[in-house]
Amino acid sequence: MKLLNKSAFYYLPLSLLVMVVGGALLYLTIKKVIYKQIDNSLITEKTIIEDQIKQSDTIPDFEAALGHQIEVKLMNYHLRSYQAIKDTDIYDPKTDSFMPFRYLFYSGNTNEKKGFVITIFRTISEKNELLQDIGLYLFFLFFSLLLISILINYLIARNLWRPFYDSVKIAGRFDIQSDTPLNLPGTDINEFNQLNEIFDNMTRKMRDDYLNLKEFSENASHEIQTPLAVIRSKTDLLMQQKNLKKDSINLVKSINEATTRLFKLNQGLLLISKISNQVFHEKKIVSLKRIVENGLENYKEIMELKNIRISIDGKDEALVEMNEVLAEVLISNLLSNAVRFNINGGFIKCHIDNMFLTLTNTGLSMTNNPEDLFRRFHKNSENPQSVGLGLSIVRKITESYGMLITYTCRDNIHELKLRYR
Amino acid sequence: MKLLIVEDDRSLSRSIYDYLKMEGHICEVALTFTDATQKVAINKYDCIILDIGLPDGNGLDLIREMKANRLTGGILILSAKSSLDDKLVGLNIGADDYLTKPFHFAELNARINSIYRRNNFLGLNEITFNEIRINTEDNQVYVNEKLLILTKKEYDLLLFFMANRNRIITKESIVEHLWGDNVILTDSFDFVYTHVKNLRKKIVAAEGSNYIKCIYGFGYKFIDI
Repeated sequence: MKLLNKSAFYYLPLSLLVMVVGGALLYLTIKKVIYKQIDNSLITEKTIIEDQIKQSDTIPDFEAALGHQIEVKLMNYHLRSYQAIKDTDIYDPKTDSFMPFRYLFYSGNTNEKKGFVITIFRTISEKNELLQDIGLYLFFLFFSLLLISILINYLIARNLWRPFYDSVKIAGRFDIQSDTPLNLPGTDINEFNQLNEIFDNMTRKMRDDYLNLKEFSENASHEIQTPLAVIRSKTDLLMQQKNLKKDSINLVKSINEATTRLFKLNQGLLLISKISNQVFHEKKIVSLKRIVENGLENYKEIMELKNIRISIDGKDEALVEMNEVLAEVLISNLLSNAVRFNINGGFIKCHIDNMFLTLTNTGLSMTNNPEDLFRRFHKNSENPQSVGLGLSIVRKITESYGMLITYTCRDNIHELKLRYR
Repeated sequence: MKLLIVEDDRSLSRSIYDYLKMEGHICEVALTFTDATQKVAINKYDCIILDIGLPDGNGLDLIREMKANRLTGGILILSAKSSLDDKLVGLNIGADDYLTKPFHFAELNARINSIYRRNNFLGLNEITFNEIRINTEDNQVYVNEKLLILTKKEYDLLLFFMANRNRIITKESIVEHLWGDNVILTDSFDFVYTHVKNLRKKIVAAEGSNYIKCIYGFGYKFIDI
């Protein structure tokens, strides 16, 4: 749940509760005040009538107003002094319904022997209507108050949290490989500034570490080259010596092979790190078809020897904007695989359309998981000589240009599909 | 040939010195930029093997200095960096070739020879070895004065053998020479075996001698019988 919704989620029932209770209390209070007023006026009237009765000993003449009835009865005996104010409903033949009334009942005595009873009725239907209206208004008032306060709360919260969302957005785009550090904008809220500062420091540290590591592996790869050159040159010299014993030859041979492997490994890793560092930034429009044709030329004799048939079809030139060297590395890696793992009398087919460059070739069956092929240092058990970097270089190149490469194998037919556009 | 080796790593410069001396060249070694500048100013070299990353200066500056003073002599850059930029800059300011560490001596030798051939127009665009004659101008090979039809790779291979006569050439160095650095996966030596076999067959078929000898464990040797 979003933070803004969450606060509304808590805010709504709480404020609703407060408003319902508050509204009810207010309603009851108003009702009480109104009844008190009615009761007071009833008592005042009663007092006036009582005074008149006591003075004149007769029933005063009242003109009963609408909904305002006064009944006075004189008794010839003594009554207990009693007063009560109550609600009642009285049938009104005009509207054929019961109307709410408030009435005061009072019994008293003028002297020892004579008592009287006063009953004053007063209609309260108007008052009730008033109360209803007040209740309705209260409801609307509170309801709109609630809506407005939620809206205001939402708007304020959104405004308050904006720097936070901005920071999240910027931090989300953070790429450790990019040249720019994460620069979160300053705000006027201390907490957010603190958070941004922590984020900034954290990512700066991460970037520094990453750059250090990158620089280290690059430097290490470079620095390894010279000692490797020394080893290679010494073995070269050793090889040229005459009268080497067979044992020594085997030793030198092993050293030489290991050196070559180390060199290939280092070269491959250097290439991968260079692709990541975008050393090959010069781009131009290259035709993949032409590179495939040139690449196949490189293996012409070997393919003739292995009786491998080649076919290139598709009119599309497969023009892409990329670095020429990388394009050549990409294609030559794919082709050398297609040649190397091919069988005698097999074929290599290259099909180019406006989206895909598909390389199909015959070969031996593959038991490995296709995805593993693109992993660094993945080794084919049948070919321990391979350093296992070729296809991970291919993937690195395709990734850096937003291309997609997939591998499938069916009935010993291997297919590499490159989506170059 | 008179050569200058500019390389700050003592062990490596010593190896290069030994090997090139074995090839019959006159060699001098400069371990620092200053040393190299002085040597270049005094002597005339046919080819300078130059490391770019020197402790007291950049090898590229030496090339600039030489070109500014109109000093002749081929220049072969030797660098731990195979970075394309360095290569382009080097070649643009007047270096003849570029070799990345670690290299094979056979390759170094072939490159020096090819630089030397290119820089000297004294009818040296022909390499003759007994009954084999190679014209490097139009890339033609003659055995007993008969034209031998070779594929591009076979021709390159023959030239490579010629440059490294009587030396053991490893299969690795042949792979790198024929297919270049970029083809990382071509480490299967069947390719080399096939090419060597075909080349030998063609020369023998043209009544040439079988000069290419297989050396157990290492590779091949082109020897005068």
